[in-house]
Amino acid sequence: MAKQYAFYFDSNLCTGCKACQIACKDKWDLDVGVTWRRVAEFGDGEWAVHNDGTYTQNISSYYVSVACNHCSSPECLPNCPTEAITKNEDGVVMIDESRCIGCRYCEWACPYSAPQFDAKRGVMTKCNFCYETVSQGGVPSCVAACPTRALKFGELEELQALYGTVSEVAPLPSASYTNPSLVITPHRNSAPVGTGELANPEEV
Amino acid sequence: MFSEWPLIVFTIVMQLAVGSFVILGGIHFFAARRYGSKEADKLSDYALLAIGPAVALGIILSLLHLGNPMNAPYAIAHFGTSWLSREIILSLAFSGIGAVFALLQWRKIGSSTLRNALALIGAAVGLVLVYAISMVYQIATVPAWNTPLTTVSFFITAFLLGSLAIGAALVINYWNLRRKSADQGNTQYTMLATTLKWIALISVVLLGMQFIVIPLYLAALATNPTNAASDSLDVLFSEYGLLFVLRLVLIFLGAGVFAVFLYRMASSNGSVRVLGNLAVIAFTLVLVSEVLGRFLFYASMVRVGI
Repeated sequence: MAKQYAFYFDSNLCTGCKACQIACKDKWDLDVGVTWRRVAEFGDGEWAVHNDGTYTQNISSYYVSVACNHCSSPECLPNCPTEAITKNEDGVVMIDESRCIGCRYCEWACPYSAPQFDAKRGVMTKCNFCYETVSQGGVPSCVAACPTRALKFGELEELQALYGTVSEVAPLPSASYTNPSLVITPHRNSAPVGTGELANPEEV
Repeated sequence: MFSEWPLIVFTIVMQLAVGSFVILGGIHFFAARRYGSKEADKLSDYALLAIGPAVALGIILSLLHLGNPMNAPYAIAHFGTSWLSREIILSLAFSGIGAVFALLQWRKIGSSTLRNALALIGAAVGLVLVYAISMVYQIATVPAWNTPLTTVSFFITAFLLGSLAIGAALVINYWNLRRKSADQGNTQYTMLATTLKWIALISVVLLGMQFIVIPLYLAALATNPTNAASDSLDVLFSEYGLLFVLRLVLIFLGAGVFAVFLYRMASSNGSVRVLGNLAVIAFTLVLVSEVLGRFLFYASMVRVGI
């Protein structure tokens, strides 16, 4: 049993193919507009003017794949009025859809857009870490689908021992809001939180 | 797509109801002390009854916000940590106590001490409710909401709308009394004029507070380092800049200009028709302004992160 399951993401390996996102949608049969795992496209950089009148640019871009981070201090959980959101013994944050009233308060609270509204059924849904599969020794579908092995999963402390403790990078929010169970190897051109621009806001 | 109309109506109506309940309680208290409880009841009983349907409408409309209203009873479960749960419990408590009090007061059941005690409890629960509503929006990930100024402005809304609504309701009540019998004597008119004077005064003071709170709020938003805060400012200034200006103009007209007219007419024993028109117009202008303000409040919601 894990104390806290977590995802690991290496931004240097990600090509932005979105296979993780589609594998998740396929496994959980998510409706249009509901996307538990999303790939944020980040763009940064500007032109520099030199003394001789020439210009050079330092434009960079990279991808960050993100789902629910099953945070240590999830903003969604204490705010949920119905106790539909719980964190289980393996640290996985779950929504009990049979209790959810669809007030969408968790959607306001979560800085990762992890809880998402299923308009057809009128309830909130979110990544459940493929918990059933994982507890039987399987792999979350996003991790299994990644062609470049950019995504991994495991026990948070083990991932941190292997890959360090970075858990925030632009365009993600500061980790201080929710203390996410997430380990990131930032892209070599990575930018600090709060800088640059999310290039595909309509997709995340 | 903007879909927060149920919340706009719910929060405005509940704040209006609490403000009206508290202000009306104060008016009744002072009127009863000076003119006796019989005259005071005649002044305020019908206004009290008018609060009920408004609250019922607010609570029913709030259900429209839910994706799955069938589960609504679960919403009171998480009061230990969720301000949303507390808001719902307090809304039910306030409307329950208010309804029982209104019934007892209307039918004059029970001693006046009992009724006064019930009214005081109802007012206290109502004030905690306004606080709870404001805390629902103070979540760390929404800079445009996460400030104590949200609490201050919700209380200003409650008392501004509450006092002006009561002003309009008392005038309409007086029209009704006069329609039933033309001679209402001096007492009812004096009570009405004195009350309207105080209501006008309260609204001018609250308008002044509002005009301190709004610049403070904008300054706090402008100095907040998150992208979400500057996006919220863009919504207020660029996307809905005209609505924002309109809200400020309307509240200034209603709670400022018309309230001053109301004060002057009430001080110089103006005709009931003029007093009534002024009170109703002031309330309407401020109501429209507050609805616009609440619309902007929800429209300016931008969350940090992705």
